[in-house]
Amino acid sequence: MNTKDIISSGLLELFVLGMTNAQETAQVSEMAALYPEVLAEIRAIEMSLQSYAMLHAVQPATHIKKTIFSRLSATNEQKTNPVVPVVSISPFWKYAAAASVILLVGSIVMNVNYYRSLEISKSEKQQIEQQLLAQERVNDEMKNNLSIIQSKYSEPVSLHGLQAAPDAAAKIFWMKNTGEVYIDPSNLPEAPEGMQYQLWGIVDGKPVDGGLILKTKKDNKYRILKMKSFGKAEAFAVTLETAGGNPTPKGDMYVMGKM
Amino acid sequence: MGEEIKYSEEELISRLKEREQQAFSYLYDHYAGALNGIICRMVEDPQLAEDILQEAFLKVWNNFAQYDSSKGRLFTWMINITRNLTIDTLRSKGYKKQRQISKDENSVSNYHDKNFGADQFDTIGLHKQVANLKPEQRSIIDLAYFNGYTQEEISKEMGIPLGTVKTRMRAAIVELRKMLEFS
Repeated sequence: MNTKDIISSGLLELFVLGMTNAQETAQVSEMAALYPEVLAEIRAIEMSLQSYAMLHAVQPATHIKKTIFSRLSATNEQKTNPVVPVVSISPFWKYAAAASVILLVGSIVMNVNYYRSLEISKSEKQQIEQQLLAQERVNDEMKNNLSIIQSKYSEPVSLHGLQAAPDAAAKIFWMKNTGEVYIDPSNLPEAPEGMQYQLWGIVDGKPVDGGLILKTKKDNKYRILKMKSFGKAEAFAVTLETAGGNPTPKGDMYVMGKM
Repeated sequence: MGEEIKYSEEELISRLKEREQQAFSYLYDHYAGALNGIICRMVEDPQLAEDILQEAFLKVWNNFAQYDSSKGRLFTWMINITRNLTIDTLRSKGYKKQRQISKDENSVSNYHDKNFGADQFDTIGLHKQVANLKPEQRSIIDLAYFNGYTQEEISKEMGIPLGTVKTRMRAAIVELRKMLEFS
């Protein structure tokens, strides 16, 4: 069926009215997904019928809304607790005794269930609290990092990859007001076992130690770090040194950039 | 009532998916009347009609995850739920599918002058807007939309061939759209 045929057939009207069978419903849904003009026609039919229904609205009594909302919260609470069947108690004692046993069993079942769902909620609560705490730490760290980057005194210096690692990169943030030096080493390749990156400031043409670039203890990754301060530096470089660092650079230079 | 808030259909849906009761309250304020209107057409007993309205809204709330906006508008989904629930409830109580005012209008000729007993709803305003709809066009829409009649039932009720129900429905709704300016 092409789109014109389906539009003029009346099938779309029946579809909106919920009068189509499963096969027709599938057919119409498929056509609607494929052809915007079919979808537009369906929407127009829906809108007109909706307005028509609005014209026939009969406002319900005001207490009904309240009842619905009270049942809303009631049904939410009930979800975890099974409904215990109501036991009718016969006037005879033996039946009463039997009934009380049943009630007792029912109450034990309910208690066990309550207890179980309480335990589940407790552990869920703990989990969520931990997640929240972790998230807060991440947030704090991000706020710190952002304040470094956004500071009006921070002067960024891009360090570009050299022969040893052409894709590597790092960024220095030099604080003009305090002389503090931060490095974002997150784009350095993983240092091999027994080796560590070391920052150097080039001051008067000579390399001056800027400190080791360590991974965070928390997630073992390179994050923004505060390094040693230089009075002034013409350039910055990062080399790969034996663990613990060296007083003068001995290893390969990975990234470098000028002020 | 919350006149200051106005949700778009999309926003309303996403808030309901998030299970926001405030959005549900908005939904109720805007659509309870229309849904109640169709229940009242099918159910004579006011207490039963109230119960069905409650159940319908609880069903909308509890099953909202199943609503798929690509399949139709929110209202279309809700009215389908309400209509089916009403029909099922009446059936389970042993009622036959019927319009509310049925005692004195069993014959086909009746809907021409009685308009299918819908007169009590036709008070003031509706009425101008869709006044030009021919009675048999209104009847075919009302039977399907408000009473949940099948094609067979409509054919029987209106005394028209089964094969023409679809095209007549189309013609009636095209007419309705013209009047409500959705063409």
